[in-house]
Amino acid sequence: MKKVCKDWVTNAFDDNLVNSSYWQEFEENAKAASAEIIHAKDLQAAQTAISGLITTLNVNKIIATNDETSPELTTLYKNIELMGSEIYTNKFDIAEHAPTADLGISMAEFGIGETGSVCVDTYSYEARVVGMLPPSHIIILNANHTVKNVTTAFQIISRVFNRGYMGFITGPSRTADIERVLSLGVHGPSRFFIIAVDEMPNRRVH
Amino acid sequence: MSAQNRNLHKEIKEKLNNNVMQTALSRFADQYPEARLKAYANVDNIEDLRDALRDMKRKTVDNIEQIANEFETSIKERGGQLYRAKDGDDLKQHLLQICLENNVHRIVKSKSMATEEIHLNTYLEQNDLHVRETDLGEWMLSVAGQKPSHMVMPAIHLDRNQCAEFFSEALDENIPSDIPFMIQTARRVLREEFLHADMGITGANFGIAENGAIGLVTNEGNARIVTTLPRIHVVIIGYEKLIPKIKDAAKILRLLPRNGTCQRMTSYMTMVDGPTPVIYKKGDQWVEEDRKLYVILLDNGRLKAAHDPKLKEVYQCVRCASCLNVCPIWTLVGGHVYGNIYSGGIGAILTGLLNSLDDFSKFSDLCIGCRKCESICPGKIPIPDLIDELRSRAVQEKGLNLPEKAVFQNVLSNRKVFHTLLRIASVAQKPVQSGKFIRHLPLFFAGMTKGRSLPALAAEPFRDRTSRLFKKNPEKPTMRAAFFSGCNLDFVFPDTSESVVKVLQNLGIEVVFPEGQNCCGKPVLGMGDRDTGCKIAKKNIEVFEAANVDIIISACPTCAETLHKTYVELFQNDSEWLARAQAMAVKVHEFTSFVADKYKKAGRLSPAKGKTTHMITYHDSCHMKRGLGIFTQPRALIKSTAGYEFTEMKNCDKCCGMAGAFGIKYSEISLPLLDEKISNIKDTGADTVAVACPACMMQLRGGLDQQAPNIQVKHIADILAENLPV
Repeated sequence: MKKVCKDWVTNAFDDNLVNSSYWQEFEENAKAASAEIIHAKDLQAAQTAISGLITTLNVNKIIATNDETSPELTTLYKNIELMGSEIYTNKFDIAEHAPTADLGISMAEFGIGETGSVCVDTYSYEARVVGMLPPSHIIILNANHTVKNVTTAFQIISRVFNRGYMGFITGPSRTADIERVLSLGVHGPSRFFIIAVDEMPNRRVH
Repeated sequence: MSAQNRNLHKEIKEKLNNNVMQTALSRFADQYPEARLKAYANVDNIEDLRDALRDMKRKTVDNIEQIANEFETSIKERGGQLYRAKDGDDLKQHLLQICLENNVHRIVKSKSMATEEIHLNTYLEQNDLHVRETDLGEWMLSVAGQKPSHMVMPAIHLDRNQCAEFFSEALDENIPSDIPFMIQTARRVLREEFLHADMGITGANFGIAENGAIGLVTNEGNARIVTTLPRIHVVIIGYEKLIPKIKDAAKILRLLPRNGTCQRMTSYMTMVDGPTPVIYKKGDQWVEEDRKLYVILLDNGRLKAAHDPKLKEVYQCVRCASCLNVCPIWTLVGGHVYGNIYSGGIGAILTGLLNSLDDFSKFSDLCIGCRKCESICPGKIPIPDLIDELRSRAVQEKGLNLPEKAVFQNVLSNRKVFHTLLRIASVAQKPVQSGKFIRHLPLFFAGMTKGRSLPALAAEPFRDRTSRLFKKNPEKPTMRAAFFSGCNLDFVFPDTSESVVKVLQNLGIEVVFPEGQNCCGKPVLGMGDRDTGCKIAKKNIEVFEAANVDIIISACPTCAETLHKTYVELFQNDSEWLARAQAMAVKVHEFTSFVADKYKKAGRLSPAKGKTTHMITYHDSCHMKRGLGIFTQPRALIKSTAGYEFTEMKNCDKCCGMAGAFGIKYSEISLPLLDEKISNIKDTGADTVAVACPACMMQLRGGLDQQAPNIQVKHIADILAENLPV
């Protein structure tokens, strides 16, 4: 999958700036922005959480992306398929099924304490539609990858952002255009879940 | 809408009578300041962030050509195209060409003020293109044929019932006024537009020279879809949005959402850098290719502004629209009366730069110079000063219109004529005067007295009382002070001037009153007539030089600000008078801050003890609080006075609506502001309101006289004088 940076951990991160110390502020701000946070010990627990959501959200069709740093996600998606869900991970399949999918799953690079945002590398078309077209979106985040604020986020970003498409997502799509009443899910998803994984295998890409 | 042939007073009246809008705006104005501060609660220092943004933007505008070249190179290196459009027509023709070349029929847009500025949609539709706004509010308004009334909340002037009508009309089905249902309907309808669009057009919140990325900040996510599904992306970006480095985006992003929508971050912050992949169905085959990226850099007056030493400050604007949210005028009349695309104070300035000075002068009056906007603007733009600058240019270009010209140039600049007229008026007003107030005025002045009494001119002006008062000057004075009364304290409130003199004399100061002093000149300067302003300033400087004093005291913050700051600015290009203005400026002191300082040194400023018989509150004058930065001293003086229990009122520093000539010219706006102020005063339960500004005193006394005559308004000088040891 095309990315702004193939391997953020190796090429952009810096242990002084990216670590687990901003988790609490991240969680508070993300929740304040109507994101729903699920803490998972590892990918196994994440899989259980996703299956739970598939049931409660009454999901039939899933579109999901993955990159080379986490081949374990491929296994996770396979397992979800084995449990009987219709899941598409090929980019053309994703394009075809995006308008009718009930759920999108993708990954974030890091979380921002100050705002509760997740930084997403969405150079590829499929990574964008997965997060925008279905009514629900699940983001998988390594819980140890948080930064203090937007300034530090851009310090990280400036190391690798030479071309492509990336940004922040902070909670679900929202509008207050009618009587300033907050309404979720106007163009993008109305439900936005962050599954924060404590023990995430991260593989360096060479 | 043409700026010509408009009846602004009529439009304002309609807006004031529009209950739906009034309810929405007043609720919003009430909630905004606190919500904004809540969004900032987790930053160390807002001022540091504002300084960083301002400094970055200032540096950028000083190198705008170089930054623009770098931006262009970055875009082209990555395979995008960049076109520089000198104005709206140029841009439209170029864009139409792109549409023709690429066989474009359907276009989706996400919000872009620049395209509204040049009326792009109308042009595209005239050329048989199907164009849809996708921001919910913008879409709703465009189907209703209405214009946005706010840059960030375009439909704030409407309620759900009106929205439902627009929905029903546009979709030709009956849509109930249920908000979630309307949102889902919009999602369904606009989703089809996204999926079938050939081209997406977006604006940009910033454009990064270093790598050619453009940034988009939205909550609905429409910009993300507009930049993802169609196979062509057109970015329309003004020069003022360019920033040098990737890291500079953080300087905008830490302020823009907090000030704009009171969020720490919007739902989506998207950066697009160069052509990005798009997957679409070609025939029955899914294909992936790079999307075509066209960036159009719009000038339309921006480059000229960049080279203007004063007006280049508009480059510090990030279009958060928070200047509207705190503007006492905008929150009363809404955005439509400003007539053009950009409303509020910043809108007046942008209109002057991007449209014309003519369009600007049609509604430039609607800034009362209260400086609320400047105090929260992320880029620290001195909006009222830029409006003053444009007013003065408009006057230079066109001259003042007639009635004002006669008053300012012939009367105000000639002290003797002006003062003689005031004396005649003090006699002539007798038939309509009752007690200390004029209750009914003939003819065109009638609007002034509805809901508010205007003070009568005093029978004996202060200047006629001086010889009696100055007999009590101390024998061995510690210093010699000249009192600059200003017109109000001389002719309307001479008793307060007496209090000023008594308080100063009690401090061991000899007080003199240079008879040749005239109006400070603020009314003419405010109208943009700098020539007359300079004439008045020179006269006052001469008079006070001759007085040979240590200090000059003013008990009117507007006069103090004019003498202290404005005179120096007026003579920037005249070294002789600049030196003389500076020599005068250092001697000028505002009364309450001066006295508080003296009292503190004398150990007289500690809170008073003992029984209190009055409950008192304090109204901050705009010029005092935000012009001079004085707000703790008046409160300390009140608290040090025996017998008063101090309480704060809600919105203590919101304009009372007087604002010099504004309160009279636009009494229909001035009075609702006054009513709000009075209701906040009443809510405190105070029986006394302290002020430190004679114009506020005039406004509040006039309002309270009619609406709550039991509440007294006192200048702090009067409160202090009453408590002097006999």
